Amino acid sequence: MAANDHLRTKSNAAWWLLAPALGVLAFVGVLPLLTIFNYSFFDIFTLETRFWVGTEWYREILSSQRFVESLARSLLFSAIVLSIQIPLGIFIALLLPRQGRFRTLMLMLLALPLMVPWNTVPSMWVSFLGNSNGFGGQTLAFLGLDFDYKFNAVHTWILLVAMDTWHWIGLVVILCYSSLSTISPAYYQAAAIDGAKRLQVFRFVELPKMTGVLMMALLLRFMDSFMIYTEAFRVNAGGPNHLTSFLSLDLGEEIAAYDYGPAAARSIIYFLIVLLVAWAFKTIMNIHQSQTSRGAQ
Amino acid sequence: MMVSPATTGAKAKSAFAVVFLILVALFIAMPFVQMLVLSFTSTLHRDDIVQWQYSLINFRNILGSPVLSGSIVNSIAYVTLNVVITILVALPAAYALSRYRFTGDKHIFLLLIAFRITPPVVLTLPVFILFSKVGLVNSPVGIALVHCVFNIPIAIWILESFISAVPKELDETAFIDGYSLPQFAVRQLLPLIAPGVGVTAFFCFMFSWVEVVFARILTVTGGKPITMAINTLYGFRTDIGLVMAMTLVSLIPGLAVIYFVRNHIAKGFIVRS
Repeated sequence: MAANDHLRTKSNAAWWLLAPALGVLAFVGVLPLLTIFNYSFFDIFTLETRFWVGTEWYREILSSQRFVESLARSLLFSAIVLSIQIPLGIFIALLLPRQGRFRTLMLMLLALPLMVPWNTVPSMWVSFLGNSNGFGGQTLAFLGLDFDYKFNAVHTWILLVAMDTWHWIGLVVILCYSSLSTISPAYYQAAAIDGAKRLQVFRFVELPKMTGVLMMALLLRFMDSFMIYTEAFRVNAGGPNHLTSFLSLDLGEEIAAYDYGPAAARSIIYFLIVLLVAWAFKTIMNIHQSQTSRGAQ
Repeated sequence: MMVSPATTGAKAKSAFAVVFLILVALFIAMPFVQMLVLSFTSTLHRDDIVQWQYSLINFRNILGSPVLSGSIVNSIAYVTLNVVITILVALPAAYALSRYRFTGDKHIFLLLIAFRITPPVVLTLPVFILFSKVGLVNSPVGIALVHCVFNIPIAIWILESFISAVPKELDETAFIDGYSLPQFAVRQLLPLIAPGVGVTAFFCFMFSWVEVVFARILTVTGGKPITMAINTLYGFRTDIGLVMAMTLVSLIPGLAVIYFVRNHIAKGFIVRS
């Protein structure tokens, strides 16, 4: 974004064009965050009676074994999800034909899971895997495979990863495909004349075109899987034995119990993690931009 | 690539592609088939229908329940409102970021990313308190507004890419011809970036239509969208057939949106890094 510095006119009046968007974001984003920042230093019984506790909630959360474990689990989940979905999404996008009805149908089918309400994604999978009437469950039983996502933690993890991949692979494919189809055939012909191997075409023609959307896919998929809530909660409510208890499930629990103070402190901690990720992301993009602009000169 | 003669190697490769893509299609389709079958099945023990038999009872129940059928209207209302608000405020912002340099512009991007990836569960508590103070709870307007927190950044990002693909000379010529900025935007820029607006609307719809966390906290007694109407169905004896029928109904607008933008997506767009 905004790499074309030399093409843009300098004008601070441009802030007025941003004002409506920033106004809405201030109301639904900044104001709530400030409120919660304030709450995080209090012990709140009702919103009227509260006691200053300083940084007690923060110390409590950060030193708790459970926070560290949930953080590790969320990181592991994101790592698995990204290492499957990003390469698979690129691969599917590359295999899709560049025109025709089959291509359009595939794209539409891949987009369909994105439109399923998040709270029924788990229901669909649980019904699918149910062994009395589910096709998947019956197939697994027929094959003699014992799939017990309720009590076997490894199986719960497999189900969550499969479900998340089913739900989101379309996003990665659509983003990658959309940028691939802007590559002019002339590039491929030039590469073929130069005798480029398939891998070289990917590395030097396709991948550079995809950088922008891949960054977007990576960021969206990382944060949404890192903070997975609805899907994980509906499948097994963090079980068995808290082995699929992720960061957001802990927070949801506190909010449900009206633990305003600790919930606020936890929200602020999570938001700081988010800021850190956004900052790291921006830094990587900046490095990438300065490299490509140097390469272009 | 395309002009090379159809050697055995190329044939084997395209056969592999077709087989692989069909496997992917099967993986995606299977849970939908399950959903479709269950939605036409009576999944609860009822006096007049044998359990697990084909039946239209679930769809009759949707029509007979004001909460369920009303939720479809609520969902369409808040999503439409959200898409309209998002695009209206994101367009000028995207234009500003594409065409002007100004103090602090580098930090806008960081701010937008941060808002896009802030998990809803982090904001639920204060948003609920804030919105109940200003009377936005139990109304589609509240959900439409709060979903802007993740949709505005995405919309600005996508629209900025589309606007930047339009040569700047177009703006300059228009301004010399005496167009004001709003006139230029409506008469010249918008028609050119219409596919971008379509793609943006698709992404906004997608993230808003299926959202659960904000929708739950903001609809306590009324104004429940489809996702929350489904939530009320979960209980001790969940009528899974009814849940699936409701899911099927909720997919219809989504499918329509996908159908309308299919060519824009297939034709391709660039998101600049």
